[in-house]
Amino acid sequence: MSPPRLSIPLITTLVGTAGALAAGAAARRWLDAVEVRGGSMAPTLLPGDRLLVESSTFTRRRPRAGELVLAPDPRDPARELVKRVAAADSEAGKLELRGDAPGASTDSRAFGAVPSASVQWRVLARYWPPSRVGRLDG
Amino acid sequence: MSLITRLLRPRRIVHAHCDIPCGIYDPEQARIEAESCLRIIEKHDASDDKLFRARCIHVKEERAELVKQHLDVLWHDYFKPEHLEQFPALHETFWNATKQASKVKQSLDVAAAKELLTMIDTIDDMWKGTGGLEKTRVSGRPS
Repeated sequence: MSPPRLSIPLITTLVGTAGALAAGAAARRWLDAVEVRGGSMAPTLLPGDRLLVESSTFTRRRPRAGELVLAPDPRDPARELVKRVAAADSEAGKLELRGDAPGASTDSRAFGAVPSASVQWRVLARYWPPSRVGRLDG
Repeated sequence: MSLITRLLRPRRIVHAHCDIPCGIYDPEQARIEAESCLRIIEKHDASDDKLFRARCIHVKEERAELVKQHLDVLWHDYFKPEHLEQFPALHETFWNATKQASKVKQSLDVAAAKELLTMIDTIDDMWKGTGGLEKTRVSGRPS
């Protein structure tokens, strides 16, 4: 089986770019890789997808509606969630989080809005699987 | 750990979390128990055996209780707020159906048992309308 066209150069580029940034990034930890579990973000994200995430943007500004973010689960802060910002209330400093599969997602409808300040990581891109490599930041 | 290592095998897991496992709730469970209620009432009515009739009542009450339980679980664990938007009569339908199951539990009324089946079929339509069939039934099973 041959790999899908374009995906190898894309991966090389992504990994190469990431590698070039690695020294500084690893030290400061503003770029990281995560793996998705669960299906509440389908069809955008599927279980097993690997994502590049960064934590620099939200030091400059608050998350905006429509962005894919990582957030600690308010009911179990040791667990990190990946959800989409459905609405941002800048006055209250709160975010409404939703799964892209609202029929199969536990999100702000269950646990309420989360503090904007608790959301530090933004999803940049998917680098795995090769067939679905691509940007996810808009 | 270098970023490259992390890219190859991220240890950081993020959860696209859902409390409720999909694809395990099927109105068929309630329907099967409700069908039992109807058949048991028919068998009760056809028999002269006092002991058999008593057993029929006992088993029918058990089955009717199971109907209520299956409907309750379907209602609060399967259906979600957006399903309510799609089917505004959802809550009332479940309320009426579980009340009907109580009626079947208390009586030996064939018409009441048939009415319960109709109500479960209405719920089944809603369940199918929200993609329950595709999410739940293993392929090859007749709908």
